[in-house]
Amino acid sequence: MFVFIGFSIRRAWLGFWHNGLMSVAATATMVLMLLLLSGLLILLTGLDATLKYVQQEVQVMAYIKDSAPGGDIASLQDSLAHMPQVTQVTYVSKDQAYKDFVARHPDEAEVMKSLPTNPLPASLQINLREPNDYLDVASYLNKQPAVDRVLNIKQTVDQMVTIIGVLRTAGTVILLVVGLIVLFIIVNTIRLAVVSRADEIEIMRLVGASDAFIRWPFIFEGGFVGFLGAAITIVLLWLAQGPITGFLSEYFKVLPVEAGTAVGQNIALIVLGTGVGIGVLGSYLSVRSYLHR
Amino acid sequence: MDTVSADTPEQIQLPIGPSGAPEMPAQVTPPPSTEPEASDKPAQSARAGAPRGATPPAAASAPRPAPAAPARSEDRIPARIVLALQGVTKSYPNGRVALRGVDLTVPDGDFVFLVGPSGAGKSTVIKLLIREEIPTKGSVLLDGRDLARIKRREVPKIRRKIGIVFQDFKLLPNLTVRQNVAFALEVIGTPHREIASAVDRSLRVVGLVNQADQLPSQLSGGEQQRTAIARALVHNPRLFIADEPTGNLDPLISWEIIQLLLRINEMGVTVLMATHNAEVVTAVRKRVVALEDGRIVRDQTAAAYEREA
Repeated sequence: MFVFIGFSIRRAWLGFWHNGLMSVAATATMVLMLLLLSGLLILLTGLDATLKYVQQEVQVMAYIKDSAPGGDIASLQDSLAHMPQVTQVTYVSKDQAYKDFVARHPDEAEVMKSLPTNPLPASLQINLREPNDYLDVASYLNKQPAVDRVLNIKQTVDQMVTIIGVLRTAGTVILLVVGLIVLFIIVNTIRLAVVSRADEIEIMRLVGASDAFIRWPFIFEGGFVGFLGAAITIVLLWLAQGPITGFLSEYFKVLPVEAGTAVGQNIALIVLGTGVGIGVLGSYLSVRSYLHR
Repeated sequence: MDTVSADTPEQIQLPIGPSGAPEMPAQVTPPPSTEPEASDKPAQSARAGAPRGATPPAAASAPRPAPAAPARSEDRIPARIVLALQGVTKSYPNGRVALRGVDLTVPDGDFVFLVGPSGAGKSTVIKLLIREEIPTKGSVLLDGRDLARIKRREVPKIRRKIGIVFQDFKLLPNLTVRQNVAFALEVIGTPHREIASAVDRSLRVVGLVNQADQLPSQLSGGEQQRTAIARALVHNPRLFIADEPTGNLDPLISWEIIQLLLRINEMGVTVLMATHNAEVVTAVRKRVVALEDGRIVRDQTAAAYEREA
């Protein structure tokens, strides 16, 4: 068994360099595909996190005018709480909003401090029994003099769900196409490797090498292309970690992005699995169709 | 996975000194364990009188143990059958009939020339033996096993009982002599520690110890063929098949190769050699099986190569 594995790995290694240009091309396209894959994964992870944050129970948010007297706010809160559609009303004061914001965006604490006054409005966060009851509550709120603006969170959520869905579908389709191309390239690379070693294979057959000894080196070779592609991709992603995190917090500012190690590890595993998987699958298909007699 | 070849390479006991002379030593030492009968004297002397290229004169006069001449196995009754073709007919999908009802039995330790014009069916016989083809009718038995009945997975195991060389050597150009020979063991999963000694032994048999680290392109044709022979021997085959081994070589070198095959035969390996080379066949006086148009037209012991028709 060890003899077999050692033999296969050695032959795969030799084969990879024997067919250098083709192997490099295969590895490069593999890297391209895996970068595309991880880009999509990162984007979707960001959007999903945003969605989760936004999708919290709050469904309607009413910003309160700064000028509104405290008594009006209290009575508004009270009357809202008595509406049958409403399950809960939370008052968030200007100070509280400021603290929340600073906690969420520590980078911008300085900016906030430099402002002469607190720009954030106080708000009422209203949870509904049924999201569809939104219109009733919103029209009621709009009539209140204390209310500055009503935000429909549900609408935002729906838009995001649509965007994420489109992105996921389009991304998956693109990935599938690119994946097929990569598979095709691997199949061809390995086929070339097989053809270029037809003499060796003939001799192996003549001296009684079993099929495993003839085939597995090529499958290892394909796996090696996948592994190398994945390794290069992971190194590239690691190098680009800073910019990626920057991009995520830039675009998905609203949310506490945890594009930290957990997400990174997941992506690395997915990239490695996909790379090696496609490499092995491609070479298996190639070897099977060519060497099967 | 099959990692270890069944038989260890201990069977070939070399009658050669450790130096491994690059020149073919012409003296043929008797095999350690063969029959003591002196019945084959004629064949022996025939060989001695045959044109011998590289034979150092000293070797011819070297002391020869008295009961030296190896006996033909047909003198003995129970010799084991290495290969048998029984009523073998082979027709190819294109309609060509290559063999018609061929019966051939080769006992253990035999040396058989397979002769006949091109297209007579020699190659087909060899293809059947290595199970590249299976007979249309009849059966091919190798070491008692019907090759048509073995599973695909077992074909490699059958081939490990056979060593085969061809007219075009089939060496790997980017490997040295030693690596070429070792390759045959590596690809059947022989453990590393066993490979080196088996390769050395095989290289000594063919007298290529000094060329072991050269590439095939640095060798003469004869040396290349000897490398191929070393590779075919390294896993201790029961049957050694040579398909026109001298086809690409000049007469002198051809003769060296024949001498080598004879010695391999004397070490106990059954040899089947397909050839056109009438001179060699006539000089060696071994069993000759003549094929013509897919039929065996002659099967004679110690025969010459007569071209009928």
